[in-house]
Amino acid sequence: MAHTILVPTDLRVASLNTLKLALDFIEESNVRVVLMYAEYLDSSITDLLFYSRKSRVSNTVTDEFKEALEILRNRFEGKLLGNIVIERFHGYNSNALSNFVDAHKADSVFLPKSYQLVTSSKSFNPIPLISKLKLPINYMDWQSTPGNITEREQLTALFT
Amino acid sequence: MKTTNKLAILLGIVCISLVVAFGSIIYYIFDKYSYVDFYKRLETRVSISARYNLGNDTTNAENLKLLKKQHLEQLENEHEYLIPFSAGMSVVDTAQKYNLPTGFLKEINSKGKAQAKSGNTFFAGSIHSNKKTGNQYYVIVSAGNYYVSHHLLFLRNIIIVGVVLTLLIVLSFSIYFSKHIFDPIREITLKVKKISTENIHHRLSSDNYKSSNEIAELANTFNDLLSRVETAFEIQKNFISNASHELRTPLTSIIGEADVSLLKTRTPEEYQKSLQNVLQQAERLDQISKSLLFLAQTGYKGNAIVFEMVRVDEVIWQTKGLIDKINPANQILVDLSLVPEDPKKLKINGNVQLLHLAFSNILSNACKYSNNSPVTVFIASSNAHVIVTIKDKGIGIPETDLPHIYDPFFRASNTKMFEGYGIGLPLARNVINLHKGMLTVDSKVNVHTTVQIKIPLFKV
Repeated sequence: MAHTILVPTDLRVASLNTLKLALDFIEESNVRVVLMYAEYLDSSITDLLFYSRKSRVSNTVTDEFKEALEILRNRFEGKLLGNIVIERFHGYNSNALSNFVDAHKADSVFLPKSYQLVTSSKSFNPIPLISKLKLPINYMDWQSTPGNITEREQLTALFT
Repeated sequence: MKTTNKLAILLGIVCISLVVAFGSIIYYIFDKYSYVDFYKRLETRVSISARYNLGNDTTNAENLKLLKKQHLEQLENEHEYLIPFSAGMSVVDTAQKYNLPTGFLKEINSKGKAQAKSGNTFFAGSIHSNKKTGNQYYVIVSAGNYYVSHHLLFLRNIIIVGVVLTLLIVLSFSIYFSKHIFDPIREITLKVKKISTENIHHRLSSDNYKSSNEIAELANTFNDLLSRVETAFEIQKNFISNASHELRTPLTSIIGEADVSLLKTRTPEEYQKSLQNVLQQAERLDQISKSLLFLAQTGYKGNAIVFEMVRVDEVIWQTKGLIDKINPANQILVDLSLVPEDPKKLKINGNVQLLHLAFSNILSNACKYSNNSPVTVFIASSNAHVIVTIKDKGIGIPETDLPHIYDPFFRASNTKMFEGYGIGLPLARNVINLHKGMLTVDSKVNVHTTVQIKIPLFKV
């Protein structure tokens, strides 16, 4: 039986430490991973007209992030089922979030304990919404380097 | 041929052919139109003269004649022919008699009316019949086309003069423009020619040109190139001074030691001691020259290096064993939390000896500059690269020194307390470059130094 876990991300390598620890922690095999990136939907009609999930993902995901995902995939090859997918969440309230969770059939949620997701002008921190969910929530803690780290340093953020 | 001339000629040819084509089309169309128009005028005259000559319109005949005289202008060489249609006379004879083109009369016979041109004289005619007598007549009007002979000629002259004038203007303009469009480039050429090894710090000024234009871009590209060349020069200069300094220090010690011990007769113990010192310095000299040799060998792409399939984790364990022997106090931890499950993803195409050299240099540096505090080595692999990250909590590298750390013999300003020659990191980087990999260093003074090495996976 596949087990689906939901992990919020800010599309920075550092946030993937939650996933790393979560995969270490989980005992089940056949784990499906859904990375959730919370972002406000554009209000411009033209932007909505040409909205495509795929191109948006490839536009905002950095090479370092992709590389870090590959590293994690290679590390937990036996445990993972299918690809690690990045899904965008555009909702504002907990109803939308429950819909999102139902749609992806998430069984449990993993949240960072001390790490703060970095938000831009368009994205927001979904953790307060997630913590209201009626799903088993696990908190993962690791020593994060504070402050803004540059793109170049990003990949090393996974090596803690 | 120079680009300026090419441009001028091309521009000139294009403009001139356009103007000539334009003029000829105008002339041709006017020419065509003038004939059509003139025949129409002749035909009007034919129908008018048929009216008053053949007496079909007796009441108005006089008026028509008057009207024609007063209001229709007299054409050049205008003639009216009223030729009775007689069955006995052939068309050719009639034509000869009245001096008319034969084909024209034949056409009138077949079609009822016709137009023709002979030399500069134009004919229009048709068959009309006298209603009283019932006789048939050819009514023909001929005239010289004043319009063609004068107006068209005038038009042609205007066009020719116009074309010649435009030609001159276009030529002079294209020559002028082509010369001045290349002015900035000529300027750059002149300036670049002036720059030599003595005044390599000179730069082209790009302020004269608007920042977005191509010339400014060219100037900036030249400046970038010059900067790189200048840095290379500097590195070369530094290398020579550093290398000679590094080589001289042990040599000076050896000479000094030998000099002092030869000043007077000494006890065997003293000789032994000074010889030991000499040996120590000679060994140091040997080490420096060896590493220099390595640096030189790895610096160019030698074909002599044999590449084979190597497992990175094995290399790292072996290197750790090596360093354990030399420096037992080290605290190197190999972190396996990200090692891929599939061992294939740890295999690279490499040379074990060179990789040992590179990793031992980096690891021993990490131990040395952190006073043997823990050093962590992470091994991970993406789908294209094996990634080895070495983290230490040592003295770090000042930000101003970071760009120079790959220069041979360069040593960061905060390393005075540590022994070294500044060859290890350049050597390691050369080795990693030989493996088509990448070595990057991140550091913060007194916090950490992180070396990340990426080597492409072995391709089956």
